[in-house]
Amino acid sequence: MTLSARPLSPADSGASASRPWSHRLWQPQHCYWSRFPDPRPVLVNLGFATVLVIIAGLYLATGTLSLSLPEVVHSLLGQGSAMHQFVITELRGPRLLAAMFTGAGLSLAGCLMQTLARNRLATPGIIGIDNAATAFAVASVVGTGISLAPQAMALTGAACATALAFGLAGATGTRGYRFIIAGLAIGAISGAVTQVMLSTVALDTANAAYPWTVGSLNSRSAGSVQILGYGLALCYLLALLLRRSLATLQFPEAVTTALGVHPGRVRLGGLVLSVLLTGLAVSVAGPVGLVALIAPELARTFNRPGHIPVTASALAGATLMTLSDLAGRTLAAPLEIPVGIVTALAGSPFLLWILLRKSPDIRP
Amino acid sequence: MLNRLFMHPGRSGFCRILALLTLLVANTAHSQSRSISTAYGEVTVSGQPERIVTLYEGALDAAIAMGASPVGAVVTRGGNSTADYIRPRAGAAQIVGTPGEFNLEAIIGLTPDIILAPSHLNKDQYQLLSRIAPTIVPHVPAFTADTWKQETRLYAAALGRVREGEAAITRVEDKIRDMAQLLDSTLSPEQQGASLVRWMPQGPLMMNTGLFSATLLEAVGFRMDDAGIVKAGRPHSHPLSLENLHLIDQHWLFLATLNADGKEALAAARTSPAFERLQASRENRVITVDGQLWTSASGPIAAEAILDQLRAAVSAGQVQP
Amino acid sequence: MTNTTRYALLWLLLATVCLLSLLLGAGASGIQDAFAVIAGQGSDEVRFMVMELRLPRLVIGLVTGLALGVAGALLQTLTRNPLAEPGLLGVSAGSAFAVALAILMGASTATLTTLVSQTGALAGCALVLAATRIPGVGQDPIRLVLAGATLTGLLLSLTSLLMLMDQRAADEIRFWVTGSIAGKRWPQLGAALPSMALAAALVIGIARPLASLALGEKVATGLGHLPGLIRILVIVVVALLVGGATALAGPLAFVGLVVPFAARALGGADIRKTLWFCLPIGPTVIIAADTLSRLLAKPSELPLGVITALIGAPVLMVIVRSRRVPSL
Repeated sequence: MTLSARPLSPADSGASASRPWSHRLWQPQHCYWSRFPDPRPVLVNLGFATVLVIIAGLYLATGTLSLSLPEVVHSLLGQGSAMHQFVITELRGPRLLAAMFTGAGLSLAGCLMQTLARNRLATPGIIGIDNAATAFAVASVVGTGISLAPQAMALTGAACATALAFGLAGATGTRGYRFIIAGLAIGAISGAVTQVMLSTVALDTANAAYPWTVGSLNSRSAGSVQILGYGLALCYLLALLLRRSLATLQFPEAVTTALGVHPGRVRLGGLVLSVLLTGLAVSVAGPVGLVALIAPELARTFNRPGHIPVTASALAGATLMTLSDLAGRTLAAPLEIPVGIVTALAGSPFLLWILLRKSPDIRP
Repeated sequence: MLNRLFMHPGRSGFCRILALLTLLVANTAHSQSRSISTAYGEVTVSGQPERIVTLYEGALDAAIAMGASPVGAVVTRGGNSTADYIRPRAGAAQIVGTPGEFNLEAIIGLTPDIILAPSHLNKDQYQLLSRIAPTIVPHVPAFTADTWKQETRLYAAALGRVREGEAAITRVEDKIRDMAQLLDSTLSPEQQGASLVRWMPQGPLMMNTGLFSATLLEAVGFRMDDAGIVKAGRPHSHPLSLENLHLIDQHWLFLATLNADGKEALAAARTSPAFERLQASRENRVITVDGQLWTSASGPIAAEAILDQLRAAVSAGQVQP
Repeated sequence: MTNTTRYALLWLLLATVCLLSLLLGAGASGIQDAFAVIAGQGSDEVRFMVMELRLPRLVIGLVTGLALGVAGALLQTLTRNPLAEPGLLGVSAGSAFAVALAILMGASTATLTTLVSQTGALAGCALVLAATRIPGVGQDPIRLVLAGATLTGLLLSLTSLLMLMDQRAADEIRFWVTGSIAGKRWPQLGAALPSMALAAALVIGIARPLASLALGEKVATGLGHLPGLIRILVIVVVALLVGGATALAGPLAFVGLVVPFAARALGGADIRKTLWFCLPIGPTVIIAADTLSRLLAKPSELPLGVITALIGAPVLMVIVRSRRVPSL
């Protein structure tokens, strides 16, 4: 092969050229077929994992009942007092898992979709998959005579929205923008349909469903968390397998094909995983916005350009979600702020900053 | 798997909690334990539980009516605290959530002896709550004239205050009888039609005729009419279009909002000429009522308060032929 | 078909829709009864329904439709972006947030001042203008729209937070943010009219300079106009119109997108032509949507905002597909 060691994308050559020479001296050069694994992603993942563990510890310890860290550890090991044990293993533990799973799932979905559309704004939330999944799930909750579980409905909704967005946009278009605007429209329609459905039920029911429609972990069902857990594990493994092929999407199509990768199939595979993860996560927590956008961004910041941070995205997503839910649980105690409102409030300024300051294209 | 571990804790942990809870209950017991029949099976309670958490407006009302002072309660629908009518007597109760969402940790923090829950509590929530304390979920049909009495009796049995519970019910029944006699001499049969409406920004909601306050009005001699637009099992209709406002036009119109002040409801309604055209409005037979009390509350104290307000309306000349 | 014929047909369509909106509704009365009222007879009951319930809605729909259509056309010309719509860019959300804040502080929708809504809209407009001045964003229509969508999301989340803080205000706010002109009356219209009239006068003044600005800053300067002043005036007009419309009907998404799009398609790209065509199209859209909202859920009604979103979102798709947007 006559390829140089660095990817050939024009965008990348521009970005690298602007970087000082001294930086490149100590930075390990990305070798697509290097014999020695690059240690940086491993270090970054370890770093994210450490932060996640610390925040998870805080999450378990903080609440209306305050526990000390030793008490948390004892309860986890099954040696705490009965009340602490109950709080940790029955209340906070399952909710922590739900937060981590949904965060990881949404973030992984975002990372995959951003990569395959080559646009950092192309996340499930912005292109309306969340809203569509919610609309379908609300339909099953409100009881429109469709006797499917909310998870199945949410998945159906997510798949329909994606198919529609693709169909209407005619593939991703250059830079993925048509896809995004198509999704925006689908999101708006789904939102309107959700409102119609909620307006047909009793006001008290609508009020009860309200936290869920903005994204909340309080009314999750244990079953859907479990399904999400299995789905997440499966999708994570598949994403790892797919990563190498996805990375080649950053090259021009001719190069990709020359490397023996079928770009269409890779895109489809990534998209299916992304839709699956989004649907499952929405069936647990409702449409929690912006985690899918910010967490992969964070993971990418610490990793070398060109690397697709599958593991780091999942860890960062889990961390962000846990932190947001911790804030939502404690800021207005004893009442709760739904986690979706926390992520929207904290994430929107960040999204605006990306939009206004950076180019939305992902520099490989 | 990790999530398995969290969701299904080891049997030993579960047993230990149960043992501890039983121990707690046994310590406070000074009479033999009894079995209460609830929506989720038989629940064993002993003695007169002291630390009571109520997760429903009607349970708070009933518990206080029997002389207990609950340590925890939920905010009333559409409010930020317990309902105005009961707050002076529920001062000690700490807020542990809204009617739809409870903060389980706050409930645990109160170390309750017993939890009085609403009849619509779902199974997941029940399973968690019943691990904290014996949880009483009534299974009585909703929206009937007897709903509140059956609930009160069940809560009374659970609290070990059967005599006090019966006394509270009797007080209400006496008041109903007095009121019925008063109205019987005042209203002719064709003047008995009435509707109960909550005025919302979206439009008026017709309340279910089986709603607590509506059944009281029925009991004292009004003929409640919902024009057939409230679906079975729902507390109220969809917001009505102003073009269909005539559907709420009965001889008497009881008008509430979610706000405590019925006067505000009337002021809001009066800005609409469609309301001004109603027979009841033109002939001054709109009776403004406190929405928290009349459309969200239930229980013996609420019943007495509603009947007192009705009597005040009658003696103020608002209710007259 | 010549432009003039088309234009006449549009006004005819508006007249038909207006007539239908008087004849049809959630009430039980038949079309013949309503028709009798318009003909000067009919029962007192039906007369009330038509003249006191449907007529004010019709007039408010007219004003709202005019305002939103014209505001959309102006904003799109100013930002040179066919997707720039007050609802999509966060102008309506700014207005809605201001109103939600006012409701929370104790104002009721009945006594709500148009001023609050217009102040919020002005803040939203200022943000949009600031965003277009950032290098890279102004030239990129989709980035601007996405920034607007984000701003809208942020403001809606803040509004949700306000609703959580006060359950009593929540019902009122929730009703309001979905958008509706049910039960609106002459006093509310009266409160909004003076500022709308001012905006209309300004529009007449700036239409020609704006058209020259659309040809380029140099052309406008060469013709003796001040581009900076024109921009500020356009922003003020948009804020007055959108703020006034939002005070009357709540935030209605997509109307400002659909109306100028149709106007451009039928009348041509020049802003003065577009504005003329917006006049009949805007009210037609709102009044038709409002009439539908009354018919679909008898004896209740659907929120108007839901209907406009269902009509408008597909149009957004059509615009994106029609390749009128550069750099797609």
